[in-house]
Amino acid sequence: MSIVHAVFAPGFFSNGPVQAALVMGAVVAAVCAPVGVLAVLRGQSFAGHAFADITSTGGSAAVLLGISPVLGFAASAAAGAASMEGLGARQHGDRDLVTGTVLGGALGLSALLLYLSTTRQGTSGATVSVLFGSVFAVSSANWPWVAALGLPALALVAAAYRPLLLSSVSPELAAARGVRSHLVGAMYLAALAASVALAALTIGAVLSTALLVGPAAAALGLSSRPGRAMAWAGAIGVTSVWAGIVLAYDSYSWPPAGRGWPVSFFVVALVMAFYAASRAGAHRHGRSPAGKAA
Amino acid sequence: MLVLRLVLRYYELVAQRVRQGGSRGFPACPVHPSLPARRPALALGVGTCLLVTAAAVAGCGRVATGAAGARVRAIGAENEYANVISQVGGRYVQVSAVMGNPDVDPHDFEASARLASEVSQAQLVVQNGLGYDGFMNKLEAAASPPGQRVVVVADLVHPRPGTFNPHLWYSPATMPLVAGAVARELTRLQPSHGAYFEERARAFDASLAPWHKALAAFAKAYPGTPVAVTEPVADFMLAAARARVLTPRPLQTAVMDGIDPSPQDVAAQDSLLAHHRVKVLLYNVQVTDPVTAGFLATARRAGVPVVGVYETMPAPGYDYQSWMMAEVRALSRAVAHGRSTVGF
Repeated sequence: MSIVHAVFAPGFFSNGPVQAALVMGAVVAAVCAPVGVLAVLRGQSFAGHAFADITSTGGSAAVLLGISPVLGFAASAAAGAASMEGLGARQHGDRDLVTGTVLGGALGLSALLLYLSTTRQGTSGATVSVLFGSVFAVSSANWPWVAALGLPALALVAAAYRPLLLSSVSPELAAARGVRSHLVGAMYLAALAASVALAALTIGAVLSTALLVGPAAAALGLSSRPGRAMAWAGAIGVTSVWAGIVLAYDSYSWPPAGRGWPVSFFVVALVMAFYAASRAGAHRHGRSPAGKAA
Repeated sequence: MLVLRLVLRYYELVAQRVRQGGSRGFPACPVHPSLPARRPALALGVGTCLLVTAAAVAGCGRVATGAAGARVRAIGAENEYANVISQVGGRYVQVSAVMGNPDVDPHDFEASARLASEVSQAQLVVQNGLGYDGFMNKLEAAASPPGQRVVVVADLVHPRPGTFNPHLWYSPATMPLVAGAVARELTRLQPSHGAYFEERARAFDASLAPWHKALAAFAKAYPGTPVAVTEPVADFMLAAARARVLTPRPLQTAVMDGIDPSPQDVAAQDSLLAHHRVKVLLYNVQVTDPVTAGFLATARRAGVPVVGVYETMPAPGYDYQSWMMAEVRALSRAVAHGRSTVGF
């Protein structure tokens, strides 16, 4: 019992914000796992990161408009997906250039929107909550949106699972088998955008890519079979979020006393730890770490 | 074309200044830059583009006959201090306020170039201190006229070292000290009007009596009333009313500083509200975020009345005294009749 108490500080399980955070974190990590593994396999983890930057613009616009931040995250990620799809036909070097410029512009726009909402509307703390988030502060009003984003994302991945894998591993073979790779790619980008929006809601726009790609990269170091890797990614993601919540709750008694450390810090730190451990393990077993794309 | 654009820009600035309720230091006339315009009503009276240029010239021409040259230029970093300066200084001061938009959290305020030029011309500055308006120190250090007098309210009040609550103007003891200091500094700047300033400072102190009485009456009728707050904004007034703030202090500081409060403190606050262990929830009208919105929702569900308090003076329509009276009345209504007051 005393060990349980040492790990879970008193009141952990009866705490309202903790209960909501545990459920929310698990749902989001579970959605991010398959989408993240596909992102790494398709070499689109940078797209995930790009969405993360773009979502900060949507999140800050939502704060300024006084609507749920998850709507802003989702709308801007969708816009990002659409523009990325539009740019997809162009050459790679050109695409990097355009993406980099657009991302810089998006973050600059977030700076303006956040400035406006803190100086004009008194939404104190908007900067921290949009960029770095706190799963403890996610209002229960967001639940319908979480469902509305998470379920279709999983459904899209499930519906296009085999063609997605095939076009990820071998585009030529997929084309020969008659896979409509453009349609499949667009479906995947939509799922990716939805997952980024969910991750942004949980750990903030800037860090969302860590929850999306981190567990997936670690999982692909443990198993190269996509299905198994997705299961691993889910386990690693949920463990990171839950352990992060426990640590954040415990940190209340750490210095500076009575404040608590940001939960997003713990989640991302744990994801990083899992990734480092997985790479070290893969190295020792002579396997090439599949997560190098991250 | 350039002149027209300058003129338009000038009217924009005048309009901005008037909207903010400031009454001093209008920008220099673009046509005759050496002549500052001092007739906002006249300057704004002509709004149409056709008449803009003519009006600007006329406005500048009028300045020479303006008799306001002897006024002390003063700035209150917060509009409640500006209000006290103008009540004490009367017709011999031109006061403007830096922070006074009721929709904005003063903690998030950032200094602009326009403000820097205003501060560089002010002879008297009243600021809160305790890091609440730290940007003022930078502006004063950057450029200030020789002999500029700066009153730091925290230095008058001597709050306990390490106090976490910078909202000194909610304490009944604060403003009489500020009025006294303002009268002293104005006398130093304009010795011939010393008696006038002193008289007005005394009148200001006397005008606080109804507020002090209302606080004492509340303390007597409802001693030790348990209350919850989102921020320490009105904590000094609550202490004067002998109310007990049950909200954990770290939660108040976290919301004030714009960071997410710990789940422990959020749960503690929720249980105060849900189990009716407090008679009222006071929240800062100027600072809203998902966390405070959650507390408001919990309070409404549980039937705990909520009272919105202001961080800076809600203007127009209020002076310091009537603002403080309105806050106490709202508190009494909530505790006596369970009535909520969301902004006034």
